[in-house]
Amino acid sequence: MNIVVCIKRVPQTADAQVRVDSSGKDIEKERLTFDLNESDAYALEQAVLFKEQSGGTITAVSVGHPDTEDTLRMVLAKGADTAIRIKAEDFDELDGYKTAQILKTVIEKAEFDMIFTGCMATDDGYYQVGVNLAQLLGIPHATLVSSIEIGDGAARIKRELEGGLLEHDEISLPALFSVQTGINVPRYASLIAIRKAAKKEIAAVGQDDIDKDALVLNTQIEELFVPPVTKRAEIFSGTPEEVSGKLADMLNEKGLI
Amino acid sequence: MAEILALVEHRQGSLRDVTFELMSCGRKLAENLDTRLTAVLLGHNTGEFADDLKTQAHRILVLDDERFKDFNSESYQQALSQVIKSENPVITLIGHTAFGMSLCPALGAQLDIPSSTDCLDIEMNDGGLKVIRQMYEGKLDARVRFRESPSYLVTIRTGCFPAEDGNLQAEIVSSDLKAAEPQHLKFIEYLEAAVGDVDITKADVVVGVGRGIKEKENMAMVEEFAGMIGGVVACTRPIVDAEWLPKDRQVGSSGKTVKPKLYIALGISGAFQHTAGMKGSDTIIAVNKDPDAPIFGEADYGIVDDLFKVLPALRDKITELKQ
Amino acid sequence: MNKKKNIADQINPEIRDALLEMGADGIYRCYQCGKCAGTCPWFPVGTYDFPIFRLPLEAALGMIASSEDKDELAAEIDKIYRCVGCEACVDQCPHGINIPSIFRAGRRLLVDFGSYPEILKSTVRKIHDVGNPVGEPREKRSDWARDLNVPVFEPGMEFLYFSCCISSYDPRVKSVARAVAGILQKAGISFGILQSEESCCGEAIRRIGSETVYEEVAKANTSAFERNSVAKVLVNSPHCYTSFKNDYPELGVKFDVLHISEHLSDLIESGAIKPDKEFAKKVVYHDPCALGRQNDIYEAPRNVLRSIPGLELLEVENFNHGLSVCCGAGSGGLWMEWDKDERIAGVRVTQLIDTGADVIAVACPYCLQMLEETAKSMGHDIPVMDIAEILAESCL
Ligand SMILES: Cc1cc2nc3c(=O)[nH]c(=O)nc-3n(C[C@H](O)[C@H](O)[C@H](O)COP(=O)(O)OP(=O)(O)OC[C@H]3O[C@@H](n4cnc5c(N)ncnc54)[C@H](O)[C@@H]3O)c2cc1C
Ligand code: SF4
Ligand code: SF4
Repeated sequence: MNIVVCIKRVPQTADAQVRVDSSGKDIEKERLTFDLNESDAYALEQAVLFKEQSGGTITAVSVGHPDTEDTLRMVLAKGADTAIRIKAEDFDELDGYKTAQILKTVIEKAEFDMIFTGCMATDDGYYQVGVNLAQLLGIPHATLVSSIEIGDGAARIKRELEGGLLEHDEISLPALFSVQTGINVPRYASLIAIRKAAKKEIAAVGQDDIDKDALVLNTQIEELFVPPVTKRAEIFSGTPEEVSGKLADMLNEKGLI
Repeated sequence: MAEILALVEHRQGSLRDVTFELMSCGRKLAENLDTRLTAVLLGHNTGEFADDLKTQAHRILVLDDERFKDFNSESYQQALSQVIKSENPVITLIGHTAFGMSLCPALGAQLDIPSSTDCLDIEMNDGGLKVIRQMYEGKLDARVRFRESPSYLVTIRTGCFPAEDGNLQAEIVSSDLKAAEPQHLKFIEYLEAAVGDVDITKADVVVGVGRGIKEKENMAMVEEFAGMIGGVVACTRPIVDAEWLPKDRQVGSSGKTVKPKLYIALGISGAFQHTAGMKGSDTIIAVNKDPDAPIFGEADYGIVDDLFKVLPALRDKITELKQ
Repeated sequence: MNKKKNIADQINPEIRDALLEMGADGIYRCYQCGKCAGTCPWFPVGTYDFPIFRLPLEAALGMIASSEDKDELAAEIDKIYRCVGCEACVDQCPHGINIPSIFRAGRRLLVDFGSYPEILKSTVRKIHDVGNPVGEPREKRSDWARDLNVPVFEPGMEFLYFSCCISSYDPRVKSVARAVAGILQKAGISFGILQSEESCCGEAIRRIGSETVYEEVAKANTSAFERNSVAKVLVNSPHCYTSFKNDYPELGVKFDVLHISEHLSDLIESGAIKPDKEFAKKVVYHDPCALGRQNDIYEAPRNVLRSIPGLELLEVENFNHGLSVCCGAGSGGLWMEWDKDERIAGVRVTQLIDTGADVIAVACPYCLQMLEETAKSMGHDIPVMDIAEILAESCL
């Protein structure tokens, strides 16, 4: 089984302060920490589990700026065999579709049975790249995958639908799977693997290899802004004891406890 | 002006709520653009669905085929691409659902039509098509402009356009497009996630925990608190991913929808996938350290502080009150 | 999948070299006598097997965090993060081997590749993002002092009071900073704070293995000190103390550091502070590792307590001074959650309570938080207080 995994380095914003920068179209990045996108970690782990099961190689690909190499090295240490960075700096503004077109030019040259991506990136939340890519490569895809069993030339998958329901499908290989978090437990990298990864070449691909003019940009960010406040909770303030007192009284008055 | 298309979504023999939301959105757009809304209904024996949608659109285009009974991204894509080619709509609306996420980006790439997913609002004028989408885990919104194109594809987030009664009289048109046998993807069945002994959808008080709880060990404290106020413990998806609670306790778009009298959100950021499952609660209280956490936009009452400080204090106060 | 191989296959000189490069000194001097493991606080915990006497040998063979099996590897990495850096083992080793620095060498390699526990990652991330492990905005760093008229530090003032992230932000531990400020004001000491210019000292994350973020905050602090011509820094956290005193000089900066217990003890001796209200309680003092064992400050905090009228000072016989048992909060331990029956703090709380004390006294915000929370979770309602809080009750 040869597997390609697409990954992205993203700012970790869940409990950080996110501010719009002076261009109004991007965020202030200096004070943020960057790491592997959450669902991509599960995509990688899924690939490594299959490799452990039935051999083959894993190629990790990312469209990203130079510091993406750090993330790719991490991915190598966790089980990928080779890594390719596509130089984001060569391609101006990107959206999901343009990223997919760029990935396609690189991945179509590789031999693969499966492609794994995360189901969405936590920065731009496009949910696009994986499916766009499958379509451009002319292979079938499944999104929100929460379980995969590989059979002969085909895979049995479960997709997560709304309301706690799962959809059970069969899909022929090669195929692209955009995986949901929780499909497995991502692993640590061992020191041996880390040392090996530190020495590996990371291939870089840029505008010399990809025809920039053939790429289409579908959407552009015009403005980033703090979401308008539609409803706002009444905030209790004070020490934990004070706020608890107020809250408990309110609950008591309303007969909720 | 060319028409607006909106895809009807149904599952296991029922129309899904998102369908009516798309129709609301589509009617609004059609009115502004002075054009018509066509509901595209792919299914089998769909008479009842068409009846239910009669007032919602100007036209219902029905593609009836055994193979459309259950969603299959391959056969749906194949049929929809033909519909789009022949109808030339200005905008095709699809729900941002597990179906839409598979369908829309594939259609966009296949037909070379610009697409955008997970849109909260949509606006079309001389400047072209613009949408509002969320970024950075709900902390910022973006206004996004599309490249100029005769046709666009958009998936709309659920809950953004409330379903409304329509006052239209739809003309029902059967299409003679036939479904092709899918080559690559075979739908097998729907599976219900296993149900445990606690049914969070039936409780009057639900205590929701999120990643702010940090460690499995701390779950005991929440269980104890919930027990004390006669509630049950539910959670966000990362808690299920970490296997600290079973899947049937997950609240949200891919979990359960709860509407208790009281929902207490502890260390939950308020991602829309979570709030989709709890915003119908009568009273919502949120405890989160981050004053900018989106959950405060859903809650009625909020406490901006460390839950590990608040919870014990709250437990003590409630014990006091009970005595 | 269990791929147990024989030892010979697992030996990896390259890992050994990498560990040596990262500061794992002295590994060849170990003769596996086991004294270190006997004094390590995990030994009395008793439910977690932590044979650290094998660590130097494992390091010399390059056999650390190197299993190919996913679950075994996870257990090995968990082990590397069990060490709370109390240095009890360092004191015992007949060959002067520093076990925690071997762990730290391994951690550095892991942190560089993001291969360490998520909970610690988020701590490092917060320190990088906002300069404190709590994840609160910088602007709120001086909120504890809002109503106290504590001036902003200006050149010419005698002391910069550096109040530690925990005592600046934690709603409970804030009262330590407030007590310190109150006492200094009463004694007429010239001091100020640097508010949002201060960052975390970085001691904990350096021990977690994040050298990069440590350097970031350390440089931010030293340049803030230089900008404001700070010559003497007063701290209430032994972790800030040890970091400023033993680590910051590597960055080529010069300033004096004083732990609050030393200064308070001097002020009492000189008569500048007169504890006159009774504090008629039996108080047991817990020696924080970073203050006692690591910096030889044993008497100053005791002097402060002894000066308080009515206070009866108790000791944990056999486990005080250099033999004090860690609270478990060092080197990232404050953020780790181990199973309930696998907690170092549990051992220490029991020892402290067994002295018959009414109050547990500490001189460290980490110990305060750890011991207080553990005592509570064990169902004890004994108060845990910082010596500054007790002194404030007696002299303010
Ligand atoms: C297709 C899809 C479907 C999904 N379906 C669901 C679903 O059904 N249900 C669901 O829940 N999620 C779902 N998700 C995931 C969702 O996007 C979010 O990732 C998730 O809801 C976030 O969970 P959280 O709030 O627990 O964690 P986070 O977003 O990490 O938030 C943790 C919060 O805790 C706060 N916090 C941290 N420490 C403390 C403390 N000591 N005291 C107080 N507050 C603290 C932080 O400020 C933060 O706001 C889905 C995602 C996808 C892509
Ligand atoms: S005490 Fe020193 S010599 Fe003895 S086993 Fe421990 S490290 Fe080795
Ligand atoms: S420093 Fe403390 S916890 Fe770490 S190994 Fe030594 S005795 Fe054990």
